Amino acid sequence: MKLALRALFLLVLCFGLTTLNAQHDTDDHGHASELTEQDSGAHGSEAAYDPVGTVMHHIADANEFHILGHYSIPLPVILYAPEHGFKFGLSSMFDHGHEAVDGYVLNHGRVNRVADPSFPSGHVHLSGEHPIHEDVVTVDGKKKDVAYLMHDGKKYMLDKPSTLDGGVLGGGITSFYDFSITKNVFTMLLATILLFIIFSIVARGYKKNEGKAPSGLQSFMEPIFVFIRDEVSRPMIGEKHYERFQPFVMALFFFILFCNLLGLIPFFPGSSNVTGNLGVTMALAVIVFIVTNLNGKKDYWEHIFWMPGVPVFVKPVLAVVEILGLFIKPFSLMIRLFANISAGHIIILSLIGLVFVFGENGTNVGGAATGAFVGGLFTAFMNLIELLVAFLQAFIFSMLAASYIGAAVEEHDHHDESHAVDHHHGGAHAEAVAHH
Amino acid sequence: MFNLFLVDFSVIKPDPGLLFWTTIFFLLVWIILGKVAFKPISKALTKRENDIQDSIDEAKLVQAQMAQLKEDNQRLLAEAREESTRIVAEAEAFAKKRRDDAVNEAKEAAQKVSENAQREIANMRDSAMADLKKEVGAMALDIAEKVIRKDLKSDATQKALVSELVNNLN
Repeated sequence: MKLALRALFLLVLCFGLTTLNAQHDTDDHGHASELTEQDSGAHGSEAAYDPVGTVMHHIADANEFHILGHYSIPLPVILYAPEHGFKFGLSSMFDHGHEAVDGYVLNHGRVNRVADPSFPSGHVHLSGEHPIHEDVVTVDGKKKDVAYLMHDGKKYMLDKPSTLDGGVLGGGITSFYDFSITKNVFTMLLATILLFIIFSIVARGYKKNEGKAPSGLQSFMEPIFVFIRDEVSRPMIGEKHYERFQPFVMALFFFILFCNLLGLIPFFPGSSNVTGNLGVTMALAVIVFIVTNLNGKKDYWEHIFWMPGVPVFVKPVLAVVEILGLFIKPFSLMIRLFANISAGHIIILSLIGLVFVFGENGTNVGGAATGAFVGGLFTAFMNLIELLVAFLQAFIFSMLAASYIGAAVEEHDHHDESHAVDHHHGGAHAEAVAHH
Repeated sequence: MFNLFLVDFSVIKPDPGLLFWTTIFFLLVWIILGKVAFKPISKALTKRENDIQDSIDEAKLVQAQMAQLKEDNQRLLAEAREESTRIVAEAEAFAKKRRDDAVNEAKEAAQKVSENAQREIANMRDSAMADLKKEVGAMALDIAEKVIRKDLKSDATQKALVSELVNNLN
């Protein structure tokens, strides 16, 4: 009965949120398209709703929390430029891109920097309705997105924050680093605080109700906790070692789950695409990589460098494969979570975008209504799927992390061929489950 | 190639800031929550599961003991019933024997008494007879004396008397 009520509550919540989501995005896109109009007015080209740009802007990280129209919640900025040191402040000091502070400006919600040393430092008011422009230029045969601002009739190029992709994905090290409490960091902080509150209540419940049946929040979290223990850590790591890694697996699962779930809330304080950002999943994957390999036993390394139970001439080949696998495993963790959550956000935003595509940028009210109806229904459906995905991806990430740890701490009593086959079969099974 | 859409697909570019904060927050969750929540919860759960298992085992044990006890009781009861039957039978037999003995004794005593009585009667009769005989003899002698004193004055009467006496004796 209670469970049925909870399921009903979740369902109602989903639909409610979807409606709100639609409203929020309507306002937001109204604003966005207005911007585009004015922007393109400056460029002298046709005004149009840009669905891809809007979606990409929404899934991206930002230095302010956009609420409605022109209202945003300012977030703290911590910026570091190697030659100028740290700069602290609130994102409201940039006045939505109309104010430059020590060469930093806000470009579409993200802090950019004027690398040119001739640009005046301190607070500089940027004249004009939209002083920051974006353009596409071709550099070395590659199309590249560049942003610049006009000040005192001079054109200053803007640097985006440094990224660690080494230029492969269009980013790279620039003149500054952004360590701000961005939208994603804020949501992660919120998830962390929520986890602390919830689990301190639950842990207190176990102390208070010792020897008694669980109650309240404790009984709500217990099945999830027991499920992760019995279906993830115990079978994957093994009876002998699982207790040692239990906090790690639980932390992975609940941290990812809470970030995923907060990302599904379409308005403040949710909506950020936390686990759909490669930086976040990379950090988690690197931690898994470190934990796995720090706990690698002799058998684990032997299986990597000199696989027992196979002919000698195969051993070096397998060693190469296994060493590659060492990195591919956490890499797959990183990509899987990132791609799943990003894709979910993109699909939902695209469905909401139908309102503006069908509405032909505000000229066709009937089309907009059709788009709102169809998009709303599909979004409701997608939100339910995303709710499932939020749990599923957290489960898969922690399960695979646990299986890697399990392989690292496993001790083989004897090295026969059937055992090796068994071992690999188990790994393949976990992977197969993950791809469902 | 990642600017295919002419827009910035920024989520695929790992931001060092995000990397840093994610690591911090995750480590906080892992280390602090692990210490104050995940480990104690895990321990409490294991303890409770063990307690439940122990309780079930104990209940089963107690149940078995109860069954054993019941069986013992039943057996004891049956034994007691048997014993009581035996005791009653024994008592009955004993009582019967006692009764028979008493009856026999009484009979014997009665017989003895009657025998004694008979013997006494016989003795008394004999003595009475003897006394009687003596008495009769004495009386006869007295009579005879008297008769003799009266009749023996003549010979004829003496003779008649003797013959009469002799006749009477037969």
